[in-house]
Amino acid sequence: MNAITSETPNRRLTNPFATRWVRPGAMAYLFPQGRTAAEIVRQFQANDWRSAIVGPHGSGKSTLVATIIPLIEQMGIAVRRISLHDGQRRFPADLLQQCLPISRREVPSDEISNSTPRALLVIDGYEQLTWWSRHRLSACCRRNEWALLVTAHADSGLGKIPVLFRTAASLPTVQHLVDDMLPSHYGLIHADEVAAAFNDHGGNVRETLFALYHLFEQRRNTYGKQRAGESVRL
Amino acid sequence: MIKALRQPLISIQIDRGQQVFGSGEVLAGAFQIDAVDHADVRVVETSVLWFTEGTGDEDMGVHYFERLSVDDVPELNLQERRRFQTVLPNSPLSYEGVSVKICWCVRVRVFLRQGRDFVAERAFQLGNIPLVQAEGMATI
Repeated sequence: MNAITSETPNRRLTNPFATRWVRPGAMAYLFPQGRTAAEIVRQFQANDWRSAIVGPHGSGKSTLVATIIPLIEQMGIAVRRISLHDGQRRFPADLLQQCLPISRREVPSDEISNSTPRALLVIDGYEQLTWWSRHRLSACCRRNEWALLVTAHADSGLGKIPVLFRTAASLPTVQHLVDDMLPSHYGLIHADEVAAAFNDHGGNVRETLFALYHLFEQRRNTYGKQRAGESVRL
Repeated sequence: MIKALRQPLISIQIDRGQQVFGSGEVLAGAFQIDAVDHADVRVVETSVLWFTEGTGDEDMGVHYFERLSVDDVPELNLQERRRFQTVLPNSPLSYEGVSVKICWCVRVRVFLRQGRDFVAERAFQLGNIPLVQAEGMATI
């Protein structure tokens, strides 16, 4: 989705911190100076289509993946994304079976180089897998000519998979998100509150934005009354 | 030459400006698309749907859907008002909770040939569940 305009009844204001607006895919990853999504994809290609994105909880790993996937799809590579839940130590056999039908998307053959993989498998939470499951997964990707992109919280357990990008959240980044990228926060959330939420949640951007969601909920009705011309003391 | 991509103007109206509907009531209206070359448009989708909004996973349900392919209807005039109409269901009713909300809307999505798409929504309310107010409001 590239743009959305929403005309809502007066009764409600959209909360700009809801999942709808801040989930990976709805919000693009904010790259550090000098880095771009296209450059990351080129590096992924140079890594022979096997890479890891590493970073702590809520630092933007999934958002980064969602930002680069459209570029990879434009190269005619089908993408299958699998999120492993906490404690999911094994890669379920039926999940691999489900992945097998994935094949190259239809693009003109002259646009596909010989080194372009048939498909890309994205595994969120790779470090949860046992050594044996990771080994099976690697073998499966090689056998089927799939690219492999994984996300993890740390380098340990990645084996020979090179790190493509390290995500790290910073307060200026979050301030930028709140000020410039979200549709509107109606002036109800102040910079010092963003900083406080960021610190309270140990630099986890996802949790910070959800804390701001609840703060916004506390104040939205007050804002509605202000708009209606009622006298409200803040 | 690079052609600048303008955002299409998508206008959605609900008849009589009605914002609140009851279960089983007819929702009718029209939409109009402007500021885009007819040749650039591939598909226009109209839907009446509900979705959840909050901090958890999103859920949604499509109640009414119509897809107009410009290839199938070459004479399609996008600037003309196109009408839509549906009988609204009994549930889920619009709900304004703190952690989760259920929102209804008419959504028009325009898919362009270059692969981009643009969306406009007109929200409305189904039913009349009272507003829930968060505790601790106005504590700035």
